[in-house]
Amino acid sequence: MLHIEKVAAAYGDVQALWDVSLDVQVNEIVVLIGPNGAGKTTLMRTIAGLHRPRSGRILFEGTALHTVAAHQIVERGIILVPEGRRLFEGMTVLENLQLGAYTRRAKQQRDKTLRHVLDIFPLLAERRHDRASSLSGGQQQMLAIGRALMGLPRLLMLDEPSLGLAPLIVRHIFEIVKSIKEEGVTVLLVEQNARRALELAHRAYILEQGRIVGTGSGSDLLHNDEVREAYLGYAPVTARTLT
Amino acid sequence: MMRRIVMRRIGMRDVAMTSPAALTRSRAWRGPVLMAGVIALAALVPVLIDKQDTLNLLFLICLHITLGQSWNILAGFAGQTSLGHAAFFGIGALVTRTLWLNGMFFPVAFLLSGLAAVAFAMLIGVPTFRLRGAYFAIGTLGIAEVLRITVSQNLPLISTMPAAEIAAYNLTLRYYVALALALTTIGAAALLLRSSWSLGILAVREDEEAAQATGVNVLGHKLLALFISSFFAGLAGGLFAFQQISYYPSAAFSPVWTFDALLITFIGGLGTIGGPVLGAIFFILVRQRLAVTLVEVHQIVFGILFILIVLVFPGGLMGAWDRLRPRAIAEALRSRRQLHKS
Amino acid sequence: MAQNIVYGLFVGGIYGIAAVGLALAFGVMNVLNIAHGELLMFGGYISFWLFSLLGIDPFVSLIICIPALFLIGLLLDRLVYRHVARLRGEAKIKNSLLISFGLVLILQNVAIRLFTADERTTQVSYIGQGINLFGIALPYTRLMGLVIALVTILALHLFLQRTDSGKAIRATAEDWEAAELSGINVPRVYMLTFALGAALAGIAGTLVSVTSSVAPSIGLDWTLKALIVVVLAGTGSIIGAFPAGLLLGLVEALSSIFISASYREVVGLVIFLLVLLIRPQGLFGSREAA
Repeated sequence: MLHIEKVAAAYGDVQALWDVSLDVQVNEIVVLIGPNGAGKTTLMRTIAGLHRPRSGRILFEGTALHTVAAHQIVERGIILVPEGRRLFEGMTVLENLQLGAYTRRAKQQRDKTLRHVLDIFPLLAERRHDRASSLSGGQQQMLAIGRALMGLPRLLMLDEPSLGLAPLIVRHIFEIVKSIKEEGVTVLLVEQNARRALELAHRAYILEQGRIVGTGSGSDLLHNDEVREAYLGYAPVTARTLT
Repeated sequence: MMRRIVMRRIGMRDVAMTSPAALTRSRAWRGPVLMAGVIALAALVPVLIDKQDTLNLLFLICLHITLGQSWNILAGFAGQTSLGHAAFFGIGALVTRTLWLNGMFFPVAFLLSGLAAVAFAMLIGVPTFRLRGAYFAIGTLGIAEVLRITVSQNLPLISTMPAAEIAAYNLTLRYYVALALALTTIGAAALLLRSSWSLGILAVREDEEAAQATGVNVLGHKLLALFISSFFAGLAGGLFAFQQISYYPSAAFSPVWTFDALLITFIGGLGTIGGPVLGAIFFILVRQRLAVTLVEVHQIVFGILFILIVLVFPGGLMGAWDRLRPRAIAEALRSRRQLHKS
Repeated sequence: MAQNIVYGLFVGGIYGIAAVGLALAFGVMNVLNIAHGELLMFGGYISFWLFSLLGIDPFVSLIICIPALFLIGLLLDRLVYRHVARLRGEAKIKNSLLISFGLVLILQNVAIRLFTADERTTQVSYIGQGINLFGIALPYTRLMGLVIALVTILALHLFLQRTDSGKAIRATAEDWEAAELSGINVPRVYMLTFALGAALAGIAGTLVSVTSSVAPSIGLDWTLKALIVVVLAGTGSIIGAFPAGLLLGLVEALSSIFISASYREVVGLVIFLLVLLIRPQGLFGSREAA
């Protein structure tokens, strides 16, 4: 479905990605883990069209994405829930959701999708006329996911959805991600919370210092010694040297 | 090679930074010799040519070199895009005109124009430097307009030289004063770039926060640039007051002076020593040429040129010289492409 | 006194419309358009010529003037401002300011070539006529101007709050990247925003041509007025610029009573400088859009 081939990206003189190749198949959950500053967010932004790759190709169902504007990528069904949620905080919950369905494709079914999203997140229905800035952190993350769902994603990309949230809420969000996948949406997930993410993943990639350094099925990586050492907290000393 | 690329990437104002290094190269003797030749020629003009038109044109070029270079010191070197330059020019004109016509010895009245402008700069410097970027620009524009309106309300009458002064009017003298002033301003700008302050001033321009973090006294360096800039702008005003037979006092506060300084510096090359010189020559010659046949068209031409320079050729005429060489073009394209990606 | 205040409000309404146009481009696009006053000037000329050549009432000719300025806005965005869209933050504001300075030169001198440097006023037949209310003269032209200003603001407010395009503008103002990620075509939103701002300048220009006069040189004064108002309102505020415009009109009226008519302009600028230095978020400062 998504095919990334030897992508390199840079901010000015600072190169952030080298020769990154990655594949996502239809209706799987693919997880990307790696230490801070490894380039995970850059990769997500590059796929979403907010950042142009310096070289390499990104194909979605065979057509090129890396030459297309971000809003057109959304139109094709690839939607990113960005790091830090990036809600329209001065606007109401409902307005945020409506804006999520701005593309022509999504607008036609906006009311139907809205009912569906509010079913998934009943809390948002209660607070639909409140400003997004008045929501708690967990609610804001749900709104961010809800806004993305309003755009009828075929590939949903989530960048650190659990960041800064309480464990109970994190569990809830992971359950929602799983149910989204069961509705037929393909998921590409970036997570710091590697254990939980790998438990959910069909396959995973490890990104370090801008390069893919490992890949495998979720359960393989979960039991891989190096991964356990580096990302699952079995040997904190080594983990620190990696970041 | 590497240095070139790095300099290119820093952007449009690299030429000023390369000049000290360039002097150490083998062709270094050419610059000073050429310069001495030009100065000698300029000094001899009144002897060689006995045409008031030409002399007047050269006077205007010198005045505008001073105007542009003084703005360049603040905006091009220290990165503070002031739109209030007319205030210093106007204050200088007002002070010199008033004192001189009331009997003060001209050289003293002239020097006081610069000092009065610096005094005003001291007054507004600290508060306006709390503003950043575009806010600094509109804030300084506001200040200049306050002065202009106040002056036009209080001094509504035209100021004319006494008949005796007009009878004895000597354009050659005024031309020499203008030439000396322009050369002094260029020299001061060049000295500033070679001084120990230049690094701090350029650092403030490139990245204020980073400069602050590395211990540069940001406010101090901005103020230094402002004082030097306002001093020469004030003197330019004083020169204007010395030259004009009659004018409305508020005319010296007109935002047009700011805008001309801006045009000259950008056309020539922002942040370079040669930029305002080339820019002023180009500006005055084109204006003079087009004003005869097509009255407003020169301003339209300057406007279009200015937009193109800001958008496409940030180096101005100085930069265009570099770009004309094929390798420089390739490099410029490369760095542009990279800039766009970031 | 009361007469002065009423006139202050009339003038303030025009300030408000002029400022909202500038605030739109600034708040949404981070573009500081110093040539806004020149757009206003062109609006004034359009209604002046439509009246003097074809006899069309200036308040009617708005239906031509608004789309004309809208088109000019589209064109300027396409030709010029789109090229600074890639820049971010400070650099973008500064470059947009510089570019618009070039536009000032172009537009002003095009106007001199086309219309000469003379001052022009749209002299409608009912100029000078009006209602007298408790001894306060309310000329029809001024009353009509205020009504049009109020209707315009109400329409803009509803557009921004209720329509999808309006919401897209507000969303883009808050976070253009998040807007792109929602499928909003941000360059198109910028184009629409700039054109709307230009259209508002056209309305303000029409009101200026009826109630005072237009000349190629009026641009800078009006840009400054609009800037003063935008800074008063706080730079994130779009609709908020309208009440701030009324306030400036009022302050100017009061200062001409209590200080001197000749320092009217200075008072506004001094307030502008004080607000800029002391309360950069503006008097009604809130960071929210619209």
